Amino acid sequence: MVSTKLYTAIYVVLFVSATIQVLVEFAGLAYWTAFAVIIVLSAVKAILVAAYFQHLRFEPRSLTYLVVTGLLAALALTLAASYSIL
Amino acid sequence: MSERRPPTDTDDGTAGESLPDDGTVGERVPDGGMTDGGTTDGGTAHSDRTFVSGEHDADGHAFPSTSEIRRWLVTTNHKDVGILYVVTSLFFLLLGGVLALLIRVQLWAPRAVGETILNPAAYNQAVSAHGLLMVFWFLSPFAFGFANYVVPLQIGAKDLAFPRLNALSYWLYLASGLLFAVSFFQGGTFAGGWTMYAPLNVPTFMPDVGASTAVLALVLFVTSVTVSSVNFITTIHRMRAEGLTLRNLPLFTWTILLTVWMMLFAFAALLAALLILSSDRLLGTTYFALESPGGSLLWTHLFWFFGHPEVYIVFFPALGVMAETFQTFTGRRIVGRKWFIAAMILVALQSFVVWMHHMFLTSINLQIKTLFMVTTIGISLPFDLMVFALIYTMIKGRIRFTTPFLFTFGALLLFIIGGITGVFLGAVVLDYEFRGTYWVVAHFHYVMVGGVTALVGGLYYWFPKMTGRMYDEFLGKLHFGLYFVGFNLLYFPMFVAWQTPRRVFDYAPGLAPWHKLATIGGFVLAASFVVMFYNLTKSAFAGDPAEDNPWAYSTTAEWAIPSPPPLENFPGVPTYRDGTLSFRSDAPQLTAEADGGTAVGSTSSATPPAAYDAAREAHDEPASHASIWPLALSVGMFVLFFGLSGLRGGSFVSGAMGAVYLASSAVGGAVTFGSLLLWALEPFDAPAGGFGEAWPFAGVENGKVGMWVFLASDVVLFGGVIGAYVFTRVAFGWTGWEPIPTDPIPGLLNTYILLTSSFTVVLALVAAEKRSRMGVVASLVATFLLGVGFLVNKGIEWQHLFHEGLWLSTNVRSSTFFLTTGLHAAHVIVGLLITLFLVARAWRGAYLDDSQTVEYFGLYWHFVDIVWLFLFPLFYIL
Repeated sequence: MVSTKLYTAIYVVLFVSATIQVLVEFAGLAYWTAFAVIIVLSAVKAILVAAYFQHLRFEPRSLTYLVVTGLLAALALTLAASYSIL
Repeated sequence: MSERRPPTDTDDGTAGESLPDDGTVGERVPDGGMTDGGTTDGGTAHSDRTFVSGEHDADGHAFPSTSEIRRWLVTTNHKDVGILYVVTSLFFLLLGGVLALLIRVQLWAPRAVGETILNPAAYNQAVSAHGLLMVFWFLSPFAFGFANYVVPLQIGAKDLAFPRLNALSYWLYLASGLLFAVSFFQGGTFAGGWTMYAPLNVPTFMPDVGASTAVLALVLFVTSVTVSSVNFITTIHRMRAEGLTLRNLPLFTWTILLTVWMMLFAFAALLAALLILSSDRLLGTTYFALESPGGSLLWTHLFWFFGHPEVYIVFFPALGVMAETFQTFTGRRIVGRKWFIAAMILVALQSFVVWMHHMFLTSINLQIKTLFMVTTIGISLPFDLMVFALIYTMIKGRIRFTTPFLFTFGALLLFIIGGITGVFLGAVVLDYEFRGTYWVVAHFHYVMVGGVTALVGGLYYWFPKMTGRMYDEFLGKLHFGLYFVGFNLLYFPMFVAWQTPRRVFDYAPGLAPWHKLATIGGFVLAASFVVMFYNLTKSAFAGDPAEDNPWAYSTTAEWAIPSPPPLENFPGVPTYRDGTLSFRSDAPQLTAEADGGTAVGSTSSATPPAAYDAAREAHDEPASHASIWPLALSVGMFVLFFGLSGLRGGSFVSGAMGAVYLASSAVGGAVTFGSLLLWALEPFDAPAGGFGEAWPFAGVENGKVGMWVFLASDVVLFGGVIGAYVFTRVAFGWTGWEPIPTDPIPGLLNTYILLTSSFTVVLALVAAEKRSRMGVVASLVATFLLGVGFLVNKGIEWQHLFHEGLWLSTNVRSSTFFLTTGLHAAHVIVGLLITLFLVARAWRGAYLDDSQTVEYFGLYWHFVDIVWLFLFPLFYIL
């Protein structure tokens, strides 16, 4: 499936991108720019963990859809609720 | 019953005792004709009848017979659990019904405070408890009694995918209901309506301990529902007979499938809401406090995101019963079956995007109100299609007015009224007038109790299958007559007297005649249930023996096997390969790795029973049917939650009761933990899946599907809690909100630690696959130590914050920080306990041949890691 070497490489990428998130915060960017960069980095990390550590990449796609459905439900609740009071 | 069988006999169902051993009815002509999932072919089952008995004996596990109490405490068999669900839910119907009659007595005439029959606080409790009990502890569990009993039979499975979890669902359900009953005696139960709106639901306004207990009882109930959803989703997707594709699935099973999918996501959102509310009540966070920005709106969003799908969750099984009985008693396949199914799928999806129509009178903006009005009106369209499909089925068929059909036909009429009156409420402008009135009360009783009507029909329909005896048809029809008259007399006047304010016992005197009519109707409805209880109780023990298939033109598989069915349901492996149901007499060889629908062994239907027996011994481990740990675990959680109810603001109430609550928490916690441990150590053979149709999870074993389904619900749980934070922060003003920890470095350190622990879990799995015992142990120990490091680091951080004067109840910013990261930490702690268990077993050489457990644990642990990847930026940086 996946070699230990690849697992290690992914671990290093995760480690570094977590560091970058904090560096971005200290870099003094505009708030919403920094916000976007940091959230995108989190999403990328999450996808890496799910795809390789949870090996969703190598499972039938239905399991991915299952998790994405849960995620969509949570996002629908959060975004629609937040929009309703804007 | 006088006759007793030896305890080794595992025959199922009490009625079997007075039946001749091999059943009485002999050969029966297959019904043929129009089908769900192909034609049932009873003949095949019957030719193997003697062999069916033999199968029981082969299973000689000293499984107690149905006449012993012990059987009902340890059973994990889906049919037993189904019966337990039905009986228990009817008990809660009585409890909720008595409360309803108290309400109706009170409403006989408008009365001022001081002249009431119930005192005002008691009236509020009666109204709230009636709603909660009926919606949660009666309606869904009643339907799930049938689901438990019938779904595995309809899909051709021996049992559910996880029989012990199924027993756990039942016992947690009972425990939660009893806990709710206890809440009446702790100063009074929850009194803020079944919707539990904020800020009325916090201790400031509802200080009784019993109110906390009611909330905790709901938490326990949701746990039961989640376990049940995971189980049914795995079962229905993975354990269908060969040829039984979703397209051919019987309609009742279809409705249950859609129901459990809705339950999985909707109840996770409710769990988020309830955990936050519990935290507000027990630990002192301030999410829903009066002064929190958006607090009361937050509750309505979380509650109704669950609450609207819940309407369909309780109604869909009823719809399934209607579809089944309409087909059976008109002798006609449902008209537009494909479209009927499509409409139900559409409703299940749409149900998650209509929730704000319950909030038209709140301060949400007009744009979103308009949008949700559109989606709400839209959701009535697929229902129209279903109603017309049912009507055309009647027109095209030849109706036989048996008791089950009378009830489901009545249910259709009631649902049409309930549905049409609901469309009024979906319009924003009309809702301004109708909200909070008896129009709403009448509407949802027509819908929900309309659903109950169909389920009562289901009870009569499956009663002969479940008991092996026929009910009395005259009493059944009498029940229907009283029920239908009582129902309409009770609820229709509420439309007329719609200006009565909901949940309030005082109303305009001019409306009194209508309320008097309604009260009379309430008692007629109650009397009709007396007839039912008499009829069914008497018939269960002394009714005429029922045939395997008492209904002509029934088409689903449960009618092709004896009434009641034997312990393992089928005389062989059910298959629809040839378009009709038959039983293959060769057991497929199922291995743990390759059971993805391709592992079915060679087929030779002609194999005689003796050869089958040999094949069975060679291939098929006898399934287990008993475990005491689901019960023990539920007792533990009942005692634990009872103890926790005594918490207020993070410490136990003062006085002797405080000591009782503390002791109860400790004892309950110990029993819970011990039961879990012994559960994990108990050898138990669950039926494997993948022997037939398994779309879309072919090639993934049951355990992994179950784990992922559970994780999907956990996504929604964390989504709800994180969503609550986002919503509160938006209400507060996003950029004006400073993160609670001023320094992100401890959080970054914890991110490093968790990422590393995820990596070590990956290494553990790699080591297990390489069969390195020390590798597995070392990696898991490293994971454990890293997890402990995470918690210690967090502890130090929390202590610093505490000394700076920041704690859970300081303000809503600190509340969201501590609760969200605390919930995550709780997940870490659970993971660490599992790790310890794995380390101990890995030390003795486990997991080298079978790394699945390590893999499943990894899925959980990585999920916890992923959650932190979002909590860290949201709570430390942004």
